[in-house]
Amino acid sequence: MQVKYLKPILVASAMVGLSQWSGLSMAQTADQLYKRSLSATCANCHGTDGKGVVDGGMPLINNLTSEQMLAKLKAYKSGALEGTIMPQLAKGYTDEQLTTIANQLGKKQ
Amino acid sequence: MDRRHFMGQSAAVLGLLAGLSTQARANLPKAEILVIGGGYGGATAAKYLRLFSNNTARVTLIEPNTAFVSCPMSNLVIGGSRSLAEMTSPYDTLSKRHGIKIIQDSVSNIDAEKKMVKLASGKTLRYDKLVVSPGISLNMNSIEGLAQANKDGVTLQAWKAGPETVALHKQIAAMREGGTFALTIPEAPYRCPPGPYERACQVANYLKQHNPRGKVLVLDANQDIVSKGALFKKAWAEQYPGMIEYRPKSNVIGVDAKNKTLKLEVEDDVKADVLNVLPQMAAGEIAIKAGLANSNARWVNVNFLNFESTARKDIHVLGDAIQIAPLMPKSGHMANQHAKVAAAAIVAELSGWEVNPAPVLTNTCYSFVNDREVVHVASVHQYNAAEKTFKTVPGSGGLSPAPSILEGIYAWGWARNIWADSLG
Repeated sequence: MQVKYLKPILVASAMVGLSQWSGLSMAQTADQLYKRSLSATCANCHGTDGKGVVDGGMPLINNLTSEQMLAKLKAYKSGALEGTIMPQLAKGYTDEQLTTIANQLGKKQ
Repeated sequence: MDRRHFMGQSAAVLGLLAGLSTQARANLPKAEILVIGGGYGGATAAKYLRLFSNNTARVTLIEPNTAFVSCPMSNLVIGGSRSLAEMTSPYDTLSKRHGIKIIQDSVSNIDAEKKMVKLASGKTLRYDKLVVSPGISLNMNSIEGLAQANKDGVTLQAWKAGPETVALHKQIAAMREGGTFALTIPEAPYRCPPGPYERACQVANYLKQHNPRGKVLVLDANQDIVSKGALFKKAWAEQYPGMIEYRPKSNVIGVDAKNKTLKLEVEDDVKADVLNVLPQMAAGEIAIKAGLANSNARWVNVNFLNFESTARKDIHVLGDAIQIAPLMPKSGHMANQHAKVAAAAIVAELSGWEVNPAPVLTNTCYSFVNDREVVHVASVHQYNAAEKTFKTVPGSGGLSPAPSILEGIYAWGWARNIWADSLG
């Protein structure tokens, strides 16, 4: 087992300066965790990480870019876009939270 | 050790070699995290502890059953339009895909001082963090004669989905022509606020087709319908005229199994052909036994930022077992959402990070008024730091305007997605 560890450690050490494994990257990771947990509130209906069950009966969202997703979420929130549950749920999130969710779950181009 | 475990541990070793003062960070892959209960809360917590830790957390799930059976949707089995197999999911994906160790056993005791869990098999396990998601217990002794009647199968609860769900459908199918199905509802809080009223719809829908002179009698200990009241009343009047009799403020205090009679606190006794008696509910047995139920000895008070029990450190309690925040339902959807907040908080704590100070929860709940048309209720709950609780956002959430087939499609889509999110 120890031998197995050795190679990735050496490779990784060579790739990054040790000082770069600092508080900054940890803070970003904590922030990333909060963003992931906020976005996970959507997963019950739209799938883990936004990857819903294909042909499952629920609208799929993983074909939307972050920009498209945010526009849709804001339209639900304002009432410009009609729906069943989504207009009611979108009104419960702040604009900042909707932006985080769209950035997290939207398809990256 | 799977590849994910290996990569995670490599990263931890790398961190230590790099000479960082990251002792707390290194605790994440070293910590033993046990999850008790594989329902919507526990299964989701186990999976998301792995996801949120980038597969570095060591997670063991303890669950006595070989497969998960969903309570949501199980009223459709009682109504005869779906099978229990359709709402059953295996547990092995959690181990195969996510590297969760699964122990098929039940927990007989928790020693919070020594941080040990004792299993029914006699084995003991140590933990650093314990997640307890035990669901509900049914207090059969709260109604005279019920414990024996339920044991004998004269009355059924079918509120924990499983063999009784199928047995109840069989009793309804075998009911004499023009017979009466009686459903009793305990005073809130209980698991799944709209569940009993959906059940009344499902039984009526079955009887309408197979036993049109049959009746559904709903004896509700509450003042009025607890959830989606206007929608259910309208559906009953329009779709099942004369079939469903609803009696609020009807508290059942006894069961005469021999005569299939229910004794009520105030009104006269009621005789029926099929008895579906739901007693008062409380947190799952292990939570009560472990001294976690510090709210009226029934429910578990938690810190809503991380779902840690207020009675015991490092024990996080989820789902129907907790004392809810205002307007927070005891639902499968909500249990799944509790699990994600708790999993993120545990990962943060073991990484030496501040726990997210502003978690969010949502709830959506679909009810079938027949085998195709559905109504919903939805809500969003933001954490309120000043009051240390979750509060629904004014203007958000709400109900369906009317039953619809589109929502019926979404309801089944919700089920398939939440099963995949919790267990897949």
